[in-house]
Amino acid sequence: MTTVATRSATEMSRPARRFGIGRILLTLLTLIAAAIWFLPIYWAIVTSLRSDADTVREFTLLPSSPTISGYIYGITNSQLPVWYLNSTITSVVITVVAVLVSAMTGYAISQLRFPGRNLLWWTILASFMIPVPALIVNHFVIIADVKLLNTHAGIILPMLLTPVTVIVYKGFFDGLPREYREAAVMDGANPYQLFYRVFLPMNWGVTTAMAIITFIGAWNSFLWPFLVAQNVQMMTVAVGITTVQDAFGVAYGRVLAGAVMASLPVALAYLLFQRRVTQAIALSAGIKG
Amino acid sequence: MASVELQSITKRYGSVEVIRGLNLSVDDGSFTALLGPSGCGKSTLLRMIAGLEEVSDGRALIGGVDVTHEQPAKRRVAMVFQSYALYPHLTVAQNICFSLSLAGVAKSIQKEKGGRVAKLLQLEPLMDRRPAELSGGQRQRVAIGRALVRDPEVFLFDEPLSNLDALLRVQMRLELAKLHNDLGTTMIYVTHDQVEAMTLADKIVVLDGGVISQMGSPLDLYNHPANRFVASFIGSPGMNFLAATVAHAADGLQATFDGGASLRLTPRAAPHFDGTQKVEIGIRPEHVTLSDPGAGQIDGVATVFEQLGNTSYVYVDTALGQIIVETDQSVRLHPGDRLGLTLDPSRAHVFEASGKAWAEQRPQ
Ligand SMILES: Nc1ncnc2c1ncn2[C@@H]1O[C@H](COP(=O)(O)OP(=O)(O)O)[C@@H](O)[C@H]1O
Ligand SMILES: [Mg+2]
Repeated sequence: MTTVATRSATEMSRPARRFGIGRILLTLLTLIAAAIWFLPIYWAIVTSLRSDADTVREFTLLPSSPTISGYIYGITNSQLPVWYLNSTITSVVITVVAVLVSAMTGYAISQLRFPGRNLLWWTILASFMIPVPALIVNHFVIIADVKLLNTHAGIILPMLLTPVTVIVYKGFFDGLPREYREAAVMDGANPYQLFYRVFLPMNWGVTTAMAIITFIGAWNSFLWPFLVAQNVQMMTVAVGITTVQDAFGVAYGRVLAGAVMASLPVALAYLLFQRRVTQAIALSAGIKG
Repeated sequence: MASVELQSITKRYGSVEVIRGLNLSVDDGSFTALLGPSGCGKSTLLRMIAGLEEVSDGRALIGGVDVTHEQPAKRRVAMVFQSYALYPHLTVAQNICFSLSLAGVAKSIQKEKGGRVAKLLQLEPLMDRRPAELSGGQRQRVAIGRALVRDPEVFLFDEPLSNLDALLRVQMRLELAKLHNDLGTTMIYVTHDQVEAMTLADKIVVLDGGVISQMGSPLDLYNHPANRFVASFIGSPGMNFLAATVAHAADGLQATFDGGASLRLTPRAAPHFDGTQKVEIGIRPEHVTLSDPGAGQIDGVATVFEQLGNTSYVYVDTALGQIIVETDQSVRLHPGDRLGLTLDPSRAHVFEASGKAWAEQRPQ
């Protein structure tokens, strides 16, 4: 075991030695693709750091006189900090609750035997077939009826329905050999311990992946928060940022500064969890080992 | 430590009866093997003792207490699974102490108990590893450790060695035997490998289609199989079976093989029958000796000659089918050699058409 680990470590630290022509071409191609992908992002960041006068005048890769006035303006002259807070609250709550509830539902359907289990499963499968926009009017009417318009709860509640996550969890729990459950039962685990101490942590990889996807989806969601949060104090970043354009007129620096700030958490989530995701995949692979 | 007793235990899946009214008592401190071919219901039986499978009918007692409807964790039994089922997200130490941790046992006590088990199983250097970083044999030991830490009254093993390579299997077999010697805990061991059962157990229970075919000590089963199934299942290479007709003769029976050769049998007791009866004569490879062609009861041609060093096996083609003969290592043979075979009548077994064995032969 140790020898294998050392060997792979030295292999990784050793620089690649072979530079075949195919390898060079492939690297070039990858670089070009990455550049094409990265250019708009780069341009948005660079433009957000220019004064508007510079933006229309110069066409350079780096701003000649960089300024963060667009950012300062966005933070001080719009409700951006409030929107940030709203987005953070709603996205975090949606992520935690939706993933936990989905995991529990998937666990129950996969591992427990209770009357109505199949009906529940088919209902979830069926709800997965219905596109969310088809329900949005119903959701709106219901949320209006229970007087939750312009509240965090109003934004959060309909977004907790994530049948896909339930389906993923059920599939995963189904795929686990029954011996894990039985070993834990013999070890004296009660139903809650079975879920929280065996099944959930054993599938940490799935949970991480589901949490990241749910968080990014919640942060970026537009249509529903746009309908529910009409009050500027309740808007999320994605909704609020569209009002900035009207408020600022054509002001490239400020708009793009707003856009950069809006997408920052999502970009950070990707970057931060990149390692976790790889780790997570390695862990789920370990389940079979 | 505790005894285990099953009374008319039955297990049905739907309308299929997998275990049929089985009675079994396992003595306190014994090492009992449940032996049988795949699908005969060994795991089901073990899982009913563990409480992982509902009992359809009958009662299960552990240490004299009826546990038929008791929770698995409350039965004071521990199980080692074939796949080990180690929790992949926990370290070796956490795996071993998982049951203690679930029960809310203090960390210091966990550490002490885990440490003791680790020492016994030589797992100390591995305590911080995860199961994915262990070899098959090490995983096996962790699985045993996880069972051990609970101080169970009864250990249940479900084919624990079948995922290991041959060399490791022999080594782990030894360690299990030592463990049983050290602990003296009742152990019930499921296997389809008769060598494992013969070497480890002090009592073997042979299962066939959900019923007990025979139980007894390893040598009992080897020397006195109660039926053709046990006779063929135990011993490697297996017993030779030769079709024959028997008739009563003075002081015993006369068995006539299909080719005309005959054997004089002297059973302690033979059932009464008129005229002749079709039977099978069973004889183990070590109870057949080689002679010159024509000098034995049966003639044949050697087809394969296996030399194991300490002993050799000759596969002989005869008019009655293939007969395996064990010879000592000094014998040299070549495929195609013509041979005569002499069967030791005092070691012959007689099985009637139903498979039931007649009483053994009187020593001559
Ligand atoms: N959950 C189940 N549902 C239906 N049949 C089962 C189930 N588990 C086992 N069986 C059947 O019971 C028989 C005995 O199985 P098992 O105890 O696993 O055999 P063994 O361990 O001796 O190989 C098999 O024929 C198997 O198909
Ligand atoms: Mg089995």
